[in-house]
Amino acid sequence: MGKAEQSALKEELLAKLVDELTLVNRKLSSLIELNEKMLKMQEKFLRVGSEKPPFGGELKLAPDVMTLLSLPPSLRKTAMVLLKLDKATAEDLARETRRLRPVESAYANQLVRMGYISKKREGREVYFYIESPMEIRK
Amino acid sequence: MRKKAISIHSSRGGTGKTVIATNLAAIYAVKGVNVALLDLDFCAPSLVDVFSKGISGSVKHWLNDFLDGRCRAEQALIDVSKAYGLKGKLLLGLANPSIEAIRNMMEKSRAWEVTAVKRLFSLRSRLFDAMDVYCCILDTSPGVQYMSVNAVVSSDIAVAVATLDSLDLKGLENMLAELYDAFAKRSVVLINKVFPETRVWSSDEQTDLIGKMEKTLKHRVIGVIPCYCDVLQAKRTSLLAVDKPYHPFLRNLEEVAEKLDGIKEVDMEEQVLAE
Ligand SMILES: Nc1ncnc2c1ncn2[C@@H]1O[C@H](COP(=O)(O)OP(=O)(O)OP(=O)(O)O)[C@@H](O)[C@H]1O
Ligand SMILES: [Mg+2]
Repeated sequence: MGKAEQSALKEELLAKLVDELTLVNRKLSSLIELNEKMLKMQEKFLRVGSEKPPFGGELKLAPDVMTLLSLPPSLRKTAMVLLKLDKATAEDLARETRRLRPVESAYANQLVRMGYISKKREGREVYFYIESPMEIRK
Repeated sequence: MRKKAISIHSSRGGTGKTVIATNLAAIYAVKGVNVALLDLDFCAPSLVDVFSKGISGSVKHWLNDFLDGRCRAEQALIDVSKAYGLKGKLLLGLANPSIEAIRNMMEKSRAWEVTAVKRLFSLRSRLFDAMDVYCCILDTSPGVQYMSVNAVVSSDIAVAVATLDSLDLKGLENMLAELYDAFAKRSVVLINKVFPETRVWSSDEQTDLIGKMEKTLKHRVIGVIPCYCDVLQAKRTSLLAVDKPYHPFLRNLEEVAEKLDGIKEVDMEEQVLAE
């Protein structure tokens, strides 16, 4: 390979590198931008309505109707029932959805893991529920 | 009669949702059934004007206030049955028409919408369990708006009103498939303003049209209502069901009401199981 050829190749490689770096740079900026937006949303979300942080200090995703649309139908159904009932055991859920209790329990627990709903123990029962960040103070 | 919440929605504006919701509610109340009629069209409230004759004094609490947690369900409902001489209660939940209130509703967060739909469910059980209401009718904004979807989700039967306009039907087809079915709602279609009332059309023609529509939309069509000059020209404050009870438009709506009453829990179960 001649010198001229070598330097042409180098230049070409450098140009490619610069191109790639520009691309990476652009992607990073959009990621940062996205992250900032998300942080702002989180802040807004946490500030909503009350002095104490809602959801016991933990950030939850609100299962609003549009979000429900993005869930798989099986989970959507469980979440929909929880919008209707204040709180529900797996058995309550099963009654509404007409599915088997263990199935309901699995779906509800998956929703908990995904951060859409919460669960709490009251006596012997385990209840699933959706946090209302803006519940009426009675 | 089974207690039920019926949402009246459409893909495009001006299909006749408000006229239909209003007169359907009045038809029930005339018969002596207690009904609630909720204006969930917070973008363009209309029931406050439609019922201006029956609302005495200024409105103290709007549905906006209830959804925001500023008042109780009972406070946000106005009974106008006396003013219109109705046998059953007609409880109105009104949307606040002030620009500030409309703007306020447009700026709500997703978190708020979750609370709102839960409150809609609680309003519904208040109406059915404590206030002796048998039928709750929800008038909505057209298209895929948060509040309209909230209304569809919290109702038992979703009525989609469409005209024969091709854009309208295309939008409806998408909405039924991607929205209504996603929520496993018992949903039916009502075609409004079909032909001029003067056009004579045989029952065969009508059956034909319904068959075609059901095939394209893959949902039951529960009525086909002609375009009536009287309806178009009536004052918006005139309740046809009270002022002109023998008008054919009301015959159409009475048939619709009968079909809605005929949708039994069994059908709803079927839909649940068919999933
Ligand atoms: N069957 C009918 N025959 C004649 N005119 C009708 C009929 N149905 C509705 N209209 C007229 O169509 C117009 C729109 O009706 P309406 O306000 O009820 O529609 P809408 O769907 O509620 O509109 P929006 O989407 O803006 O809320 C009104 O002038 C109404 O009188
Ligand atoms: Mg309207």
